[in-house]
Amino acid sequence: MNDLLKVSHITGGYQNSKPVLHDVSFTVKPHEMVGLIGLNGAGKSTTIKHILGLMEPHKGEVRLLGKTMAEDKLNYRQNFAYIPETPLLYEEMTLWEHLELTAMAYGLTKDQFESRSHKLLKEFRMVKMAKWFPSHFSKGMRQKVMIMSAFLIRPSVYIADEPFVGLDPIGIKSFLDRMVELREEGCGILMSTHILATAEKYCDRFILLHQGKIILEGTLTQLQEQANMPGADLDDIYVEVTKEDLYD
Amino acid sequence: MINVQDLWGKRRSDYWTMAIRYLRLIANSGFLFTIYLLFVFGSYYYGQFLQWLPEAFPAVLFFTVVFTWLETRGRVRTFMKQGDLFFLTPVEGRLAPYIRSSIFYSWIMETFWLALSFLVLAPLFFDRIQGTGSVLWFSLFLLSALKAYNLLTGFEEQRVLDKYHYLIHTLLRAGLNLVAVYAIFSVQPLWVIAVVTGALLLFYLGYYRRLAQQFSLKWERLVEIENQTVMTFYRIANSFTDVPSLKSKVRFRTWLNAVYSLISFDKKHVYHYLFARSFFRSNDYFGIYIRLTLLGALFLSIVELDWGRWLIAILFAYMTTLQLETLKNHYDTSQMVELYPIDPSMKIKAHSYWMNALGVFQVIVFAVIVFFPYGFLDAVIVLVLALVAYQYHIHVRLPKKYETSSM
Repeated sequence: MNDLLKVSHITGGYQNSKPVLHDVSFTVKPHEMVGLIGLNGAGKSTTIKHILGLMEPHKGEVRLLGKTMAEDKLNYRQNFAYIPETPLLYEEMTLWEHLELTAMAYGLTKDQFESRSHKLLKEFRMVKMAKWFPSHFSKGMRQKVMIMSAFLIRPSVYIADEPFVGLDPIGIKSFLDRMVELREEGCGILMSTHILATAEKYCDRFILLHQGKIILEGTLTQLQEQANMPGADLDDIYVEVTKEDLYD
Repeated sequence: MINVQDLWGKRRSDYWTMAIRYLRLIANSGFLFTIYLLFVFGSYYYGQFLQWLPEAFPAVLFFTVVFTWLETRGRVRTFMKQGDLFFLTPVEGRLAPYIRSSIFYSWIMETFWLALSFLVLAPLFFDRIQGTGSVLWFSLFLLSALKAYNLLTGFEEQRVLDKYHYLIHTLLRAGLNLVAVYAIFSVQPLWVIAVVTGALLLFYLGYYRRLAQQFSLKWERLVEIENQTVMTFYRIANSFTDVPSLKSKVRFRTWLNAVYSLISFDKKHVYHYLFARSFFRSNDYFGIYIRLTLLGALFLSIVELDWGRWLIAILFAYMTTLQLETLKNHYDTSQMVELYPIDPSMKIKAHSYWMNALGVFQVIVFAVIVFFPYGFLDAVIVLVLALVAYQYHIHVRLPKKYETSSM
């Protein structure tokens, strides 16, 4: 059992008659950062929702550390951290309380919570804002709350949906440095993004989703081979393989 | 071509469809009962109040001031929307039927409020001004006519752009109202009324009609008046139920922070933690709780009937539980809560915990209030009855609510 996350032959969506995803399969192994790439509406968020267990697939299954959600409902969600595309905050809670609540929900000890939180606040330059309420936060600060909450719990799998939106350059750097560190420690990371230059630099492998199907998969070199575009960067490959749309 | 008459009709019915939905919610909430109670006790104390009121009380002046204010306030409700600044301005010249409907509608509504205020004050009117019903009805008729005049002139006045001049016009109108209302409440002979009416009409034709020809509609002001009207309604509705359009403000209430330390750092207490924050800081659950507690305490201290107090204790406890029950849905739309690896059955435990804690606090307040004037036994009875109301809700009603929602 080597895969942290194993998505097998998933067909799914909101309506049984109109599946958004068609037979999607991929894995995320330890020490791996995988980029999930696709146009708006390609099915990235739907894929993530299936992994989170917020939607049940029509066909296929998702295994996290070898177990499906149905097999072990509580522990399943214990094992990943999710960074949503739009920050989902509680307007009635301070930044510190968000961290505390997350720590409680994932069963951290009080000491773990405090030492990790202080470090994260410093790293993301949010120490001064610890007692602030979200109504005083900018878009980027809100995103930082989600990122800090995710890093706080230290699970083995991270699922990030467009994590850079609204972040300042230092925020992006802290985030990526942390991700690299976690990868070294053996975590698996699935990251959906449109910022391809960054993805190219950091991700080990890529999954290109298009209209609910995986059209290309592999390392950059493998993608170049599959697309028959040696030496091309991710942007070019991406544009090229999604272009076919114009003709059909 | 837009049929402005149809447009007006559609807007009015849209508004009322929305309003009736809220009115129904208000009617179903416990608060209506509080108002009913207030009415019953109010009318009892009203009589006593009238007897206590000294002979020298300047009733005519009082009525004149109150009704001058009621006549002057209130503007024509046009149901105008922000988008009209773009879409309706081109047809301003053909808007007369739309405006006529608006004025007529506003007149009916305002007459309703006038009549309501007048009826509330009717005992005072009979007692101090005039004993006969016909005078009362005739006065009401005159007040309503004056309202129509105010809406007509007030609408033309809205065309004056300059804020200062606009205010001067309103004050001028208030002055005219003062004279007319005084004439009504000092029960002047008919010829005086006729002269005042004639003067007002002449002034309308000679001055306000000219304003209408000279100046265009001030659309932004009309939209603002409309928005204010709707917001007032929302704010009232919001004290009974949740109005999504009124983005509820979070109140930080840092002085309550000590309460949160009741919840220990433990995976089992995630929902306890969440509910504590939502209750004390958002949607004004806390405000409603405090208001109900104070109102209950007030009633308990003034009602002299034993069973009346017992009933009030049960009622207020139960009304409070109904309000606390809505906490259940507070996190329904939060995706993060859904992702936490916690047993969903913790939610009802946390909900019951807070209902219990808040209930105990409220019940103790009730018992103490009753203890001082009515003694130990009565305090115990009130305590037990209110506690039973809480326990019923926590152990019977709440689990049912949770069961039906989990399907």
